[in-house]
Amino acid sequence: MMNSTNNALEVITLVESKYNVVKTEHISKYQVAFEVIREDIHSMLNFLKNSGWKQLSYLSAIDWPEEDKMELVYIVFNWDKGVHIQIRSKIDRENPEMDSILPIFPGCKYYEREAHEFFGIVFHGNPDSMKQLILEGWDDIPPLRKDFDPRAYSEAHFPQREYTETFIELNQQESKQEKRAARQAHIDEVRKGGKK
Amino acid sequence: MQELKLFLGPQHPGMHGNASVHMFVEGDIIKRSYLLPGMLHRGFEKGMERHTWLNNIGLIPRVCVVEPDINEMCFAQGVETLLGIEVPERAHWIRMIILELARLSIHMMAYGGIGGPTGLYTLMYHAHADRNDILNIFEKITGHRVYHMYIVPGGVRKDLPVGIEKDIHQFLDSLESRYAEYRDLGIDNPTVRARTVDTIMLPESVVWELGVTGIGMRSAVGKEYDVRKVMPYARYDQVEFTVPTNTYSDANNRIDCKLQEILQSISIIRQCLAKMPEGPVRVPLGRGQSMRWTVPKGYAYSVVESSRGEFGYFMVSNGGTHPYRVGVRGASYPQGLLGIEKYLPGTRIDDAALWVDTMGVCSPEIDR
Repeated sequence: MMNSTNNALEVITLVESKYNVVKTEHISKYQVAFEVIREDIHSMLNFLKNSGWKQLSYLSAIDWPEEDKMELVYIVFNWDKGVHIQIRSKIDRENPEMDSILPIFPGCKYYEREAHEFFGIVFHGNPDSMKQLILEGWDDIPPLRKDFDPRAYSEAHFPQREYTETFIELNQQESKQEKRAARQAHIDEVRKGGKK
Repeated sequence: MQELKLFLGPQHPGMHGNASVHMFVEGDIIKRSYLLPGMLHRGFEKGMERHTWLNNIGLIPRVCVVEPDINEMCFAQGVETLLGIEVPERAHWIRMIILELARLSIHMMAYGGIGGPTGLYTLMYHAHADRNDILNIFEKITGHRVYHMYIVPGGVRKDLPVGIEKDIHQFLDSLESRYAEYRDLGIDNPTVRARTVDTIMLPESVVWELGVTGIGMRSAVGKEYDVRKVMPYARYDQVEFTVPTNTYSDANNRIDCKLQEILQSISIIRQCLAKMPEGPVRVPLGRGQSMRWTVPKGYAYSVVESSRGEFGYFMVSNGGTHPYRVGVRGASYPQGLLGIEKYLPGTRIDDAALWVDTMGVCSPEIDR
């Protein structure tokens, strides 16, 4: 189970020989990233799974409103080689759709469901992907999109609290004098016979 | 027989954190089940986008309640990868001491935790008492008991206090001397063995299907699939340790692996204390005011071996003062959600809590 820089380089040559990669990044000794077109993702994940990248570590998305794109990220891991591969692809932001990778990695079921909940991406072929998971009764745009404003949401959904102003006595000397005056007034009152 | 709906959690001695397992039972056999997360969702991923890189240090330990240090390590590693900076040598060793102490603490808690579902509370009290000693050491090192905010991008916040080595050695010796007792009380105890041997199986095919990592995977596959071995971070390549494995993953063997890891962690901390060099413990990430530090554009996925398996942070920077996106890969995500849906059915009701416990399901990292 030895690991070396060669493993990452091997992966790069292996993948680049088979697929038209838009962009390759050699992030570290243990990590490689490929940006590919959307149509390649399934065949690439299938190929990598058969080459030993048997574990789906992470699946999520990134919102890029300036480019009007949504970026999908799949991270797979090979425990023998010790290399993480990020596979990223940009899809349309207005109607984000993707075919599910459920037949390749059954473990993706809940990741896709979460990505639907937080980014609004529709995964075709995943039976439960439209069900709510974590956010109960959510009635706004998906919260991890960049145009979602948590402050506006909470102002609209939760009642404004009323705060009372409390004064902090900054001038200790003044308050002492006030206390002394109050005490003196009380004593005077008692001397006169008190309240009746 | 009529199908009945039962709930395990959110308030149950065998349930970890605020999540609930909905079970449809016939007799005492579970027919269908699913996890209902969301009671602990605090919006961390959105929250991290709204804080600066350094402000996030106060936020991230809260992601996993019982094991906060792995979050700090993950975040720090990710930022360092994006920045391309190298941490001082001493900081690596201090980080390892902290991480292994944290592993001891959670293993004690999890091992004591089997006391809940099996009704053996003595074990839980003993384990928690020993865990308290670890928290005392953490308090001396970091000033905090649970959320330490000690491992920061660029190193660790402060050097170890003078004389802490003595405390750590004292604790390790006492824990090691009690190890045999823990075995007797826990997994060698006939009442616990009756509940755990040959029950709650995790075959290798299921491991690969769900993507289970950590002790669950190693106890089924029989290989040293540990992030510390496969892709060593910090200085794990310079210490000697073995990763306990097994090829037959029932509840008892998984607990056994956990107990053996306690011994390995003790050995790692001793080696760290012996090998740790002198020197600085932190490098600044940039120049000028720390709240305006920026991190170059890029994507990084940083991983750490937590007590439950591969724990990762997927971090994206757009070159600004705030993270653009941080995604948390909770180690218990696969077995906690898909595992409960697919493989909890078929077990008995009274084993459900033990299933959740020995699979290492931690709800805070599922919800985030």
